[in-house]
Amino acid sequence: MSEPEDLELEALKRQLDDAFETTRPRAGFEDELWTRMQARRPVGTRLRDAWLGLVQGIREAPGVPMAAIAAVLVVVLGAGVLVYSGLGHGGSTATSSAGGADSAAQPAFLGSPGAFGRLPAPVLSAGSPPRFNTGVAPSATSPGAAYTGPVALAWSGKLDLTISTAPVFRYHEPSTNTADQFATSLGAVLVSRPAGYLGSYQTTDFSVRVRGTIQSPPREPSYIVLPIASTGAIDAAGGPADVALVFLAERSLAPSWQYTSDVVVSGDVSKVTLMRQFGVTGYGYAYLVDGAGERYGIEVDVNGNRPISATGPLPLSLDTASYPIISADEAVRSALASSPAATTAGVPTATLTTAELVYSMVVAGDHSFYEPSVLFSGTFTVNGITYVKRVLVPALDPSQRSS
Amino acid sequence: MVADRPPFEDLYRAYLGRIYAYVRAQVGTSADAEDITAQVFMNAYQAYARFEARNTTPAAWLFRIARNATLDHFRAHGRRERLRRTIEHQPVAEEDPSGVAEERIQYRALLARVAQLPERQRDAISLRHSGLSFEEVGTLLKCTEDAAKMLYHRAVKALKEAVEKETV
Repeated sequence: MSEPEDLELEALKRQLDDAFETTRPRAGFEDELWTRMQARRPVGTRLRDAWLGLVQGIREAPGVPMAAIAAVLVVVLGAGVLVYSGLGHGGSTATSSAGGADSAAQPAFLGSPGAFGRLPAPVLSAGSPPRFNTGVAPSATSPGAAYTGPVALAWSGKLDLTISTAPVFRYHEPSTNTADQFATSLGAVLVSRPAGYLGSYQTTDFSVRVRGTIQSPPREPSYIVLPIASTGAIDAAGGPADVALVFLAERSLAPSWQYTSDVVVSGDVSKVTLMRQFGVTGYGYAYLVDGAGERYGIEVDVNGNRPISATGPLPLSLDTASYPIISADEAVRSALASSPAATTAGVPTATLTTAELVYSMVVAGDHSFYEPSVLFSGTFTVNGITYVKRVLVPALDPSQRSS
Repeated sequence: MVADRPPFEDLYRAYLGRIYAYVRAQVGTSADAEDITAQVFMNAYQAYARFEARNTTPAAWLFRIARNATLDHFRAHGRRERLRRTIEHQPVAEEDPSGVAEERIQYRALLARVAQLPERQRDAISLRHSGLSFEEVGTLLKCTEDAAKMLYHRAVKALKEAVEKETV
């Protein structure tokens, strides 16, 4: 066989590796199937697991008086029988509640409406300063400049929100054990546990740091991967986005969730963002946004064909539960209510022209949520400079709020 | 629980993606791939008590179940559709938006080409690129390790020719 043909075959094999490594089921399938499998277990097996989980939980609780154990045993066993037999509300969650330290790794799919109870409200930057629109402003103004004065709001768009419920997603706060398991799956070993991080890890060609949820601004548990200097260029024909995807796939970091990609070039560096989406029955896919309405997900910085760094959400299982949401009219009224009257002298008016369902993070202790919101966007002009104004309105029905 | 047998959930979480990719390379749609993958793990879950870790690796055991489930699928309702697609040289069937966005276009086209190879060649490529050793591929395909290497090599060459033929 000739050398060029050998090279072509090797290239094809690499493509096959990438194709198989990046082909994964849709987001949510893994937990859905696991729940179905659990639901088909015989009742006897569930009871046995409930008992083993209970005993294990007691073993892991130091210094508990035996009398207290006995009393708790009676109560919990009764509850366990109900839950594990599938008779209790959310019976399919049994494994996670009995899983002790591992429970964070195996949360359940909860289809019943409102299964998480009343939810905390998101902290949205409704008053975030409007951002300079780089597409239309004069070059004398620095990109990203913000307008800090009051802005009146008007609405002239169409919000196509015909659904009355939307899923809420919940994850359990990862432990150092979860972070270690994630690092192990990448082939990385623990180096240290720096302050503010669950762990710092390293392989022969890259380092990884994992941290938990950030309270403010809210951000889910995440990782950052920094290739060590010797990392070579990636041969990908499709530009920075393909380089990023190959880089992630080679490290088993390709997203298992839905996304669209975006590339922003700044000098020699391209920032590739795989913007995360959540599936909403009857609506389609809704982007995950931060408090300012910016879409986010996994970010990979690429210089030429060399990845510089990658950061993204720690892969965690999500529970889901359906919740009622406000109507389109109510969302518009809420958006407009956040601004001063349009007739106030000297106050510019931003005309909101687009609106979409999005998801934003809500931090809540040992578990946090992705909750639906409505993101409105529009522009206004002051002194010849056009700014973009965004308004985020929580979409959950107020009756579902805990505060 | 047998000491050398990991919890089934560990296997499930570790292999779901790989099994799905293997199945996806055999069938035309992500919907079929999900159905078959679900069947694979349902069957594996029920049979796990009989799994003997000293006789085979978890990967080989799961891929054997996956291969059988895929063949059952073709026997049940896929053969005619598969034959038609091969004859017409079509890419995979149109899918729902989530399925279309799920995979990168060029990789999907490549897997569609794999799906059109003869059964044993298709299996050799899919099993090998799902992470199995040639020894495991040979065991699953009931041939020696050397024969599995040869089969795989021929399969990749056939795939290359098919891709080149398509692009001419």
